[in-house]
Amino acid sequence: MKRFHLSFALQLVLLFSCNASIANANPDALIIEFDSKKLQAGRSIWIDNCKGCHAYGTADAPVPMNIDDWKTRVIKNKSVLYEHAINGFFGPDDTMMPERGGNPDLSDNQVKLAVDYMLELANFYIHKSTN
Amino acid sequence: MKLSKLIYSAGAVLTFSTLSTTVLAAGDTVPVKAMADALHLVMDSDRSVYTRKIVNRLVKKEKVIKASEHFEDDKALVLPAQMFRFGAELVQKRAKKLPDVNFTYSLQSLWPINKQNAPKTKAEKEGLKFVADNKGQNYYTEETLGGQKYFTAVYADTGVAPVCVSCHNKHKDTPKDDFKIGDVMGGVVIRIPVGM
Repeated sequence: MKRFHLSFALQLVLLFSCNASIANANPDALIIEFDSKKLQAGRSIWIDNCKGCHAYGTADAPVPMNIDDWKTRVIKNKSVLYEHAINGFFGPDDTMMPERGGNPDLSDNQVKLAVDYMLELANFYIHKSTN
Repeated sequence: MKLSKLIYSAGAVLTFSTLSTTVLAAGDTVPVKAMADALHLVMDSDRSVYTRKIVNRLVKKEKVIKASEHFEDDKALVLPAQMFRFGAELVQKRAKKLPDVNFTYSLQSLWPINKQNAPKTKAEKEGLKFVADNKGQNYYTEETLGGQKYFTAVYADTGVAPVCVSCHNKHKDTPKDDFKIGDVMGGVVIRIPVGM
């Protein structure tokens, strides 16, 4: 079962009750932890390497807490997301995802763990919005 | 009437979307914060388009030209940050001929490669520290310089490409060599005179 901070319900209400982009809010409390050890490892890697852009929408990086950013991505084959994250990717508007989030020291497996966490986080917010 | 006088009103509610289709009547105002935010939105969007449609496309994807700090010697594209600075300099030069337009902007850093780009005023120093310590938030304040009151806004400038980070980290004049992608590396300072 998924676990999240006690104050999360209130934050969720705030998130979905205003039009302001989550990218302008402090996202730390929204970067929730899940019980799975792999997702916890992925969260740690994500915070160290991905959060700087993906938590704030910097350079239009898709924010997993923003439903519109991810509802079309979560239905993609996960291997495509892995490939983009590992090898880098230019989006249709020439936005750029740097390979391995710009950290060449990350292994393929570490990148995949971070992607898994971001997908789980995005799915969590998408499911919450529809329930 | 100075533009800054027109726009400075804490209680004003007129928005820029309204401005685009409405002729201002006497007494109508635009909040100075909205003015600064709008200016920054234009600056940041133009810079993003240059980065993506020119630099990323031609340098990274099509690999037909390089981008270089020494663009004249290297026959290369100017770096996005240089393009931004050149724009700021041209605005300042052109604005001198437009008495109703009165604002300045600059790209500064607490860790500048070029010392001229270090913050000078207390507001600049506090603002750059604030946006570095509080990601996702902007900094707004007022300051008085030379007897003139200014509204000053600072917006984070984040390293988003490996080349931004690696170039700063490896530059011989850098005071900081451990930037990571996603780190705030500096800030855009917009200053608008008020109460004129």
